[in-house]
Amino acid sequence: MLGPPDWLSVAGLLARARSVYRALFHRAALEQEMREEFRHHLAERAETLVREGLTPDAAHARARREFGHEGTHREQAREALGLESFAQLRFSWLDVKVGLRMLRKHPMLNLAAVFALAVGIPVGLAPSHLARALEAPLPGDAADRLRAIRHWDPLSSAVAPTWDGEFTFWAQTLRSFSSLGAFRTSSYNVASVDGRAAPAAGAQLSSSVFQMLRARPLLGRVLEEADFVAGAPDVVVIGHGLWSSRFGQDPRVLGRSVRIGRNLHVVVGVMPDGFAFPTNEALWLPLRLTSVGGMQERVRVQVLGRLADGVSAQQAEAELSSQGPPPLNSPSGAGSVNDAGERARLRAEVVPFGLLYLGLPAGGLAGLPEFRYVQALMFVLMLVACGNVAMLVFARTATRLREFAIRTALGASRGRIVSQIFVETLLLAVIAAGVGVLVFNWALDHVNLAGLAGESALPYWLSLGLTRETALSALAFAAVSATVAGVLPAIVITGRGIAQNIRGGSRVRFGRLTGALVVADIAVSVAAVGMAFAVSGHATDLQAADRATGIPASEYLAVEFRLPEGASTSADARADDGAPDPLRVQLAAAQRELVARLDREPGVRRVAVGDVLPRMEHRSRPYELDGVERVADAPLRWTRLARVDVDFFDALGTPILSGRDFVRTDAEEGSRVAIVNTAFVERALEDQDPIGRRVRFPNTGNAAWYEIVGVVGPLGVNVLNADRGEAVYLPAALGTINPMQLAVHTVVPPAALTGRVRELAMAVDPDLVMGKASVLSDVRQGDWYLVMGLAAGLVVLVGVLIALATSGLYAMLSLSVSERTREIGIRAALGASRGGLLLTILKRSLVQIGLGAVIGLPIAARSVFELTGTPDGAGSVAQSMAVALGLATGIVLLVGLSSCLVPARRILGIEAREAMHADG
Amino acid sequence: MAPAAALLPGNLDLVILKAISLGDVHGYGVLLRIEQISGGAILVQQGVLYPALYRLEHKGLIAGRWATSANNRRARYYRLTALGRRQFAHEQGAWQRLVDAIARSLTATPQEI
Repeated sequence: MLGPPDWLSVAGLLARARSVYRALFHRAALEQEMREEFRHHLAERAETLVREGLTPDAAHARARREFGHEGTHREQAREALGLESFAQLRFSWLDVKVGLRMLRKHPMLNLAAVFALAVGIPVGLAPSHLARALEAPLPGDAADRLRAIRHWDPLSSAVAPTWDGEFTFWAQTLRSFSSLGAFRTSSYNVASVDGRAAPAAGAQLSSSVFQMLRARPLLGRVLEEADFVAGAPDVVVIGHGLWSSRFGQDPRVLGRSVRIGRNLHVVVGVMPDGFAFPTNEALWLPLRLTSVGGMQERVRVQVLGRLADGVSAQQAEAELSSQGPPPLNSPSGAGSVNDAGERARLRAEVVPFGLLYLGLPAGGLAGLPEFRYVQALMFVLMLVACGNVAMLVFARTATRLREFAIRTALGASRGRIVSQIFVETLLLAVIAAGVGVLVFNWALDHVNLAGLAGESALPYWLSLGLTRETALSALAFAAVSATVAGVLPAIVITGRGIAQNIRGGSRVRFGRLTGALVVADIAVSVAAVGMAFAVSGHATDLQAADRATGIPASEYLAVEFRLPEGASTSADARADDGAPDPLRVQLAAAQRELVARLDREPGVRRVAVGDVLPRMEHRSRPYELDGVERVADAPLRWTRLARVDVDFFDALGTPILSGRDFVRTDAEEGSRVAIVNTAFVERALEDQDPIGRRVRFPNTGNAAWYEIVGVVGPLGVNVLNADRGEAVYLPAALGTINPMQLAVHTVVPPAALTGRVRELAMAVDPDLVMGKASVLSDVRQGDWYLVMGLAAGLVVLVGVLIALATSGLYAMLSLSVSERTREIGIRAALGASRGGLLLTILKRSLVQIGLGAVIGLPIAARSVFELTGTPDGAGSVAQSMAVALGLATGIVLLVGLSSCLVPARRILGIEAREAMHADG
Repeated sequence: MAPAAALLPGNLDLVILKAISLGDVHGYGVLLRIEQISGGAILVQQGVLYPALYRLEHKGLIAGRWATSANNRRARYYRLTALGRRQFAHEQGAWQRLVDAIARSLTATPQEI
């Protein structure tokens, strides 16, 4: 054999790689070439022998004898090519049969393993599955050519408004899109056949949107160009749900007039079931934009486009970026220098539609560092499940040592045995993946995910069901799981000597790793149950929530009202010719009249109006404080911002802790005052006197300074953590908040007034759409859902880990008892007590359970103390601690009893005489 | 014909490389060439030839290609690669040093001790 390490050279390594590749993936051709080469050799040798005087037949026969068996040559050639190790890893259907038999032989162990992987694999898959679902094409867009165009504000990491002028500019200039459309959503009061009006979600669409979506109506037609001409009759296309609920699926609905708000619209089409563009809309109206010839009222829109043939989304975005924003003071452009400055910061993006809806960055979920963290965590959980399954497989495989020894003696290589165990584990993993994915799919169909997220329904285009990519990923994960859980234990198990195994003279020892896994399972279970209890307890602590809210939220009805077909707020839209905005005038009148009527209503104490109420999600804005030096390039600090009616705090009964309340003149044009809450004083002003200080909000198109005139309490800005809920309140004039939130303080149960409030609103203005109404104490901030989801996840985690720990301990104990039966019998015969026998066998497991509990309990106790401690004293903390510790003790007892009971009974049932005949 | 010589284990590859270094040759031709250049002293067993050829090709020391032989048959011809030439030169030098050392050892006289 050649000496020096020629294989270390690059050329040598490449040659080997090419050779192995050819041998693995072009095996048939290689075998054919070998045969041909050997045929040539035999022919040449026969010819030589003929020249030496043999007859052709004799020459061929002798040539064959000299050459030997061709099959042996090929086998040796394969060995020379290094293929033996690959050959050992071949699979056969026999492996599958044996795998199925093993499943029947150890049902409990296999059930625990399937359960672990059935949870672990979907958990590992869920993040990427969700990310793919969010970026899936819209229904009807099989070629995935539809994209949304939006502005992204890198400063606030949020979507910035897009205006109708920008849409018009893009429609005229962009070549990367074959068509562009704009739309906006709102709620509308739609009158039923019986004349009663109820809100329905709807959208205004520009003329090309239906064509882009390739949506065909069930009845009638979709919106056409003629519907968008000035002076055209008001028409509407309705959805299947609306057609069913309001019109009883009457086929003669076409041509009927339906009252939407104040106006009558003619129904021209009905869309099929399942169409609800852009999310869950039930009716579609023409979007008539009038941004031509001088500045008009700016209208906030969203933009959808179909990419031109051969153009990618990246190319379209490059064209968009190279164009820049529309020029100032053009019909399409921004209206002021401030706007231009702000717009220059924004980034125009071309994104999948799902990202527009959810406001995710351009990379989607995968672009969020938090998502990558969650993905890694889920993958680690899957590996933990695999680790535990490896322990179970190890135990199961350990009972077959003699079988492996005999097979090895009969010629099976180690690789062959390992490959068989891999196939058995792969079978387990595939079954588990299948079960897990099917259960996951079932859960998606039957669990109200929208409700969990605080929404009425998921977007119509969001399909979370099983996809081909997810199914293939599940199989890939199953293979990874089988490798981790099957191959590694198999390599360890088959590393023992044959003679040793045949004699059965030594036992499999479960090493420190398996023991550490059991301890870790129990420790995490105990810690997690304490955390879950503490987290959920904190989130549902009504007393704490009320303290953070500052008002008795259970006495308030929270109702949203909006006027559709206009700018969203007066801060966003203005008429540059100085005339009052008609929408604002209408809304001011409606607000004044509605509040007045509600105030006069029996059962109502007061009504507060704002763009957000206590306990709701408050929007955040960056701010600056006058007199505080800001380091260049340092990040701005953020605060919550709310715009409220001047009577807001008085109507809520919230005392002004310092300074003064708003007065009517504070809401006039040019007035610049603000009220802050105590959290703002503490965190932004470091408890300095805020009265007279000034604050402003840069990068929002408004550079004015606001003077702080008063301080109020926390007011439910952050219900879970009042100290971190700093907020600034600005006074809003009548008619400038749309949608507006009303907090109706009642003397009767608030929910009982819902119908009456709707009647009053309809009487005040039929255009005024009433949105969600709920008791204020039932309103949840986004953090609440996150926290409860976390608690639920922890409970699931606890369940999985308890099952794994129990089954792992059970497996090890059962094996230990089996192997030590003779020893136990001898000890019993020599007079050992039953207690002593039990302690001998169970000692190790009991120590592991105890160690896990000792590690996990302090973490659980700490969580309870941190999250449920109250300023009122130690009473509630002690109570919570007792419950958490009780739960943790329950876990320990559950695992201990479940895993040890059966092996303990077996130990106690062993008779000395029978034990002497046992193999162990 | 020279007396028959047994190939020491590990030297077959060296002899094959030498045979191929003299010119492109097919498998059967390697046998004949080795017999020829050794004066008939080395007769390579047919059972070990092709595993050795495939092993050398796997390591990248020789490369095979299909061509038509002098007898108008399709045959696989082997040639030495650049890596093979370097390896052969190295092995040949090592072998020569070994042979010289053994020869010197075998001709040692008591006076040299």
